[in-house]
Amino acid sequence: MNITKEEIIRQTNEALKKEFELSDAQLTPQANLKDDIGLDSLDAVDMVVVLEQKFHINIRQGYDLRSIVTLQNLYDFIEKIAQESAQKNQ
Amino acid sequence: MRVRTFLNTVLFGVWAVCWLAVSGLAAGPFLYIWPGKNGRNARRLVYVQAKGILFFMRLCSRSWWVETPAPRPKGPCVVAANHASALDLYTVAAFGYDNVVYITKGWVFKLPFFGYVMRRAGYIDAQTTPPQQMLERCRQAVQDGCDIVLFPQGSRKDPNARFKSGAFYLAIELGLPVVPLAIGGTGDMLPSGAVWLKPADILLAALPPVYPADFTGPLDHLHMARAVKNRIMDYLHKEQKQ
Repeated sequence: MNITKEEIIRQTNEALKKEFELSDAQLTPQANLKDDIGLDSLDAVDMVVVLEQKFHINIRQGYDLRSIVTLQNLYDFIEKIAQESAQKNQ
Repeated sequence: MRVRTFLNTVLFGVWAVCWLAVSGLAAGPFLYIWPGKNGRNARRLVYVQAKGILFFMRLCSRSWWVETPAPRPKGPCVVAANHASALDLYTVAAFGYDNVVYITKGWVFKLPFFGYVMRRAGYIDAQTTPPQQMLERCRQAVQDGCDIVLFPQGSRKDPNARFKSGAFYLAIELGLPVVPLAIGGTGDMLPSGAVWLKPADILLAALPPVYPADFTGPLDHLHMARAVKNRIMDYLHKEQKQ
């Protein structure tokens, strides 16, 4: 899957806004997923499912998700997975 | 400050607090000796107290409207309400829910006496109870014939806040219908942080139940949360326009 960083940010924000009723003002790269955006532990599981469906990737297996604290962390993480997925498919 | 607000607070607000204190202190020793099956008598006390508070709320209101557009589910259910005021806690009693377990924030359990009654009644601390344990305690409560009551917005600060999906995950896991409880006007009467009871138009409605079978897929609880919130907000917007 070849996808640019800007596209990852746009699609991630779009998915989060739709599923978690968030506003553009809340979705800054520095926003803390728990404290600023208000996602609880169940929301975090839901977010993983939402992003897997959005980007057609498998996040749950083999990755430590605890290091994802901010939105920027999340964008970087999806970019990394997307690149790995693209390399596997080549 | 308007005269009616002053009178509401001095006459009815003070009486309401006295009612809670006197009824609680009178019943306290009995609850200690005779708690009933899994705290049933503590839940009876809360119901009677809530009925009293509803009486005072009605006296403080400008208008009072309680509506049940659909029959209540036959068995236990989850009641999910919007939340704008501390008064919301008492509104389920308007619909005859007399045997309920609340899932609520941890700080409420630290209040003197109230915390004791809540523990006695089997209420669940949403912040410190691990998810699996919460599920098992809810399952036990349902087996005891209790309804589960939650405020999925989790806070009184933003009346339009998102409904968090935990309540609906519980409903789906336990196979229970969710009754959307629409509460209008309590946020005008006593908003978060206020002490004066303003006269307000109070509207309470137990809306038609939403069933877990109508939602499928890994995000079923998220979609159920949104459906329940939309049903409540649509109802309130429609009624408040009229």
